[in-house]
Amino acid sequence: MAVTLPPGPRTPWTPPRGDGSALRISRTPGRVGRTLLALALAVWFLLPLAPLGLWLFADRWSYPAALPEAWGLDGVRSALAQGAGPAFARSLGLGLAVSAVATPLGALAARALAYHRVPFPAAVNAVLFAPLALPAFAAAFGLNVLLLRLQVPPLAGVILILSVYALPYTTYTMRVAYGSHDLGFEEEARTLGATRWQVLARVHLPLLAPALARSAFLAFLIGWSDYLITLLVGGGAFITVPMLVASAASGTGNDSVVAVLSVTAVLPPLILLLGLGFFARKPPGGLS
Amino acid sequence: MSNDLVIDGLSKSFSSSSAPVLNNVNLALESGSCTAVLGPSGSGKSTLLRAVAGLEAPDAGRIVLHGTDLARVSPEHRGMAMVSQRPLLFPHLNVLDNVAFAATVRGVRRRAARTDAAHFLDLVQLEGYGRRPVTAISGGQAQRVAIARALAARPAILLLDEPFSALDPQLRSTMHELLVQLRERLAPTILMVTHDREEAAAVADRVALLSRGRLLQHDRVDLLYSRPVSLEVHRLMGGTNEITGTVRDGVHYSALGDLGLPADTGWPDGPGVLVIRQESISIQDNTRSSAEYGVPGIVTDIRVLGPRRLVTVDASGIRLQTEAPWGRPLGAGDAVRLTIPVSARALVPGQPDPGGPTTADTATAVISTGR
Amino acid sequence: MSSGRRLPPWLMAAPAVLMASFVVLGGLLTAAAQSLGLLPLAGSPSLTLEAYTTVAPDLPSAVGLSLAIASASTIAASAVGFMAALIIVQGRWCGRVVAAVSTLTIPFPHIVGAASVGLLLSDSGVLSRLTGAGEAWPQLVGGPWWFAVIADYSWKESAFIALVVTGALITRSTGYDETAALLGAGRLRRLRHVLLPLSLPALTVSATIVFVYTFGSYEVAWLLGRPSPEPLPVMALRVFSSASLTSRPEAAALAVVTAIVSFGAAFAAFALLRRIPLWR
Repeated sequence: MAVTLPPGPRTPWTPPRGDGSALRISRTPGRVGRTLLALALAVWFLLPLAPLGLWLFADRWSYPAALPEAWGLDGVRSALAQGAGPAFARSLGLGLAVSAVATPLGALAARALAYHRVPFPAAVNAVLFAPLALPAFAAAFGLNVLLLRLQVPPLAGVILILSVYALPYTTYTMRVAYGSHDLGFEEEARTLGATRWQVLARVHLPLLAPALARSAFLAFLIGWSDYLITLLVGGGAFITVPMLVASAASGTGNDSVVAVLSVTAVLPPLILLLGLGFFARKPPGGLS
Repeated sequence: MSNDLVIDGLSKSFSSSSAPVLNNVNLALESGSCTAVLGPSGSGKSTLLRAVAGLEAPDAGRIVLHGTDLARVSPEHRGMAMVSQRPLLFPHLNVLDNVAFAATVRGVRRRAARTDAAHFLDLVQLEGYGRRPVTAISGGQAQRVAIARALAARPAILLLDEPFSALDPQLRSTMHELLVQLRERLAPTILMVTHDREEAAAVADRVALLSRGRLLQHDRVDLLYSRPVSLEVHRLMGGTNEITGTVRDGVHYSALGDLGLPADTGWPDGPGVLVIRQESISIQDNTRSSAEYGVPGIVTDIRVLGPRRLVTVDASGIRLQTEAPWGRPLGAGDAVRLTIPVSARALVPGQPDPGGPTTADTATAVISTGR
Repeated sequence: MSSGRRLPPWLMAAPAVLMASFVVLGGLLTAAAQSLGLLPLAGSPSLTLEAYTTVAPDLPSAVGLSLAIASASTIAASAVGFMAALIIVQGRWCGRVVAAVSTLTIPFPHIVGAASVGLLLSDSGVLSRLTGAGEAWPQLVGGPWWFAVIADYSWKESAFIALVVTGALITRSTGYDETAALLGAGRLRRLRHVLLPLSLPALTVSATIVFVYTFGSYEVAWLLGRPSPEPLPVMALRVFSSASLTSRPEAAALAVVTAIVSFGAAFAAFALLRRIPLWR
């Protein structure tokens, strides 16, 4: 009754050699290899951070010594003397300003692209994502002239340009979020008697809060870590932490100041990142 | 016939719960047979399938394929193929290359693999769909492609994990028919997991009933209905009639009177529960009411079950249920006589607990009937 | 949800689109006009290719160097990032550790990364001290092979690629991986036939972003590179800040060339992406 299988590429199932011990042997190296690879990757990602930790509180560390010879706060003192405090405040302000501009605009654009018929969607996408392909210095050269002629204050120009550089990230983050967002929740809320604003405040924003937070963080990062746009468009008066890092690192002999300034430049976004719970990802697997 | 797969004393616990998911499960699959593992959700049936596939490591017990213990064999070397509820067609491959996947990863030349795959697309009645992207086919077609892809791997055992439960009822019965056809043509050994009694009956020749990690009965489909080995099996299969009594010399004595048991089995003397499928009990035609045989009773409740109705009858203080066809008008309080064929009677050990099933719903809630 | 008073969709997208067009098109067109002599600092505008002909002799080596640095960094970052993503989606403690440390590098500003790579790899850097190599330590910072520059980009961008590829793989890789295993595919075959194709769109997109970024980025090459030959952005900045009258049009010409190469690379990647079946 049973028709034989069509001529097939495989011989019938045969048990693996012996009692399968060959497979057991091949699995253990797999696990060892995976662990070694994971360790190598951890070293790869952490190694460049090691000098910062060593130099941070090193008052004296002359050349071939393997470890600092005297620990102290000289680096911190001279970083403060170079204006690290006000620069920190300026960087913070710049990051927050860029975040405040780029997050809502990106969310609005993403919502329009996700749910509505936007005219010329390909062109809109191309314009919003073009900053990814536009070298910062190229934009700054042209805009320097343009902003000057339009009499835009330098700081406003910096915020404008950096917000545009943040838009691809905020738009993309929110586009993904809207892609998996179920409009059914909002319709359900409307049928339960919620007004449009109540739906926005009590359903829409809470559901999208994680994505909005990620998006705001990425925009903050663009403003916080920028060097070149602030340097070229800011007119030289607006000194931020990355600019202090650059000037300290390009000189010689003040390695501990570089370390202090670098840590200053890293801590705020790192704290934000931990606060965002980036580590609390969903566990791998999506079966159930 | 020889056994393809023997599952021997399989046990498995997850750290998240104290009760074992699988508790000493023994099961043997005959070559070319289709066995349905039937059980309510959480009974461990999917875990059983994943253990056979090698995707879960059991705590104890053996899985033996053609005489070889699979404990140390990785999933890709087990010669299984699985179709799950989600078709999981590779999105980067078109329909034909999905079916050709198993051959491709074994190093078969692309052209030969595709020719072979085309045969299997024909088998699932999707000839000509090969060049389509997997996003351009319907849910039912995707599941057919998944079946073709699994069959093209020439699995020693074809594993089906609730493969049709995401499909609508009409599509599901089409798929059952397809599976029956495929069995006639290719005779693969199939282990299938389902929560649907009717699906199990439609495609499988043997059913393994699983509940709370224990295998309750592994038998032919009809025997699972007509000769349950325990009250639990009877209830899980949707049976509602339980009559406590005593057996002596093949006759069950209870408030209903003395009812002879089928002669083909030697029934042990002593206390025992008589179980009768509600479908097997019929209501006698009232016009011949002179007849003195049958069990007398009073109708207490009538529920509509689509083409039939579920009639509850109080017979000498015992609640009996029968599925009667439409026809004769019936109402609560009517006196009726019930026929209980001898072949429909079966005995299970034990006492029904006082709060046992009182309506059909409690049983159907446990395993859905798929209607 | 469609009563009259809602924002029309074009108005929702308008602010973002207007700002981006102003910066991208305004910036590029002004730079182009400047490079063609239409916006001189002094004198009357006249259309001329003089700025381009002046920078032309130095262009091949600058473009070539920038392309080489960007290619090497992109390849290294993609390889490491893809491996990291594979380890991360495997789960277990290995995956969690790699996920944590790679995410840690995301908030590092590029200039900070460059500064600490400098402290690590320079002649008097931490590695040179720890190994006790002394004079034997190779010139990694400011050396002929741009090692420190490429190392910094590879380090920083591998974390970015790992993040993007992990995002693409993590929700769906397990089901497909198991299905492929049951169809007889071993670990390497699954990598080749399932995991790589599944992550290819994300890998292409992120690698393109990395390539274009490293091609047009200034501060790392300036801090960790050598004075000559110069990559395109470093040359452009030097010309820009030099005092002569002709420097601005020449710098603008270099900016236009860089932008053309960048957008060309982006278009090429997009064309490639459209041929990947997974890309909608």
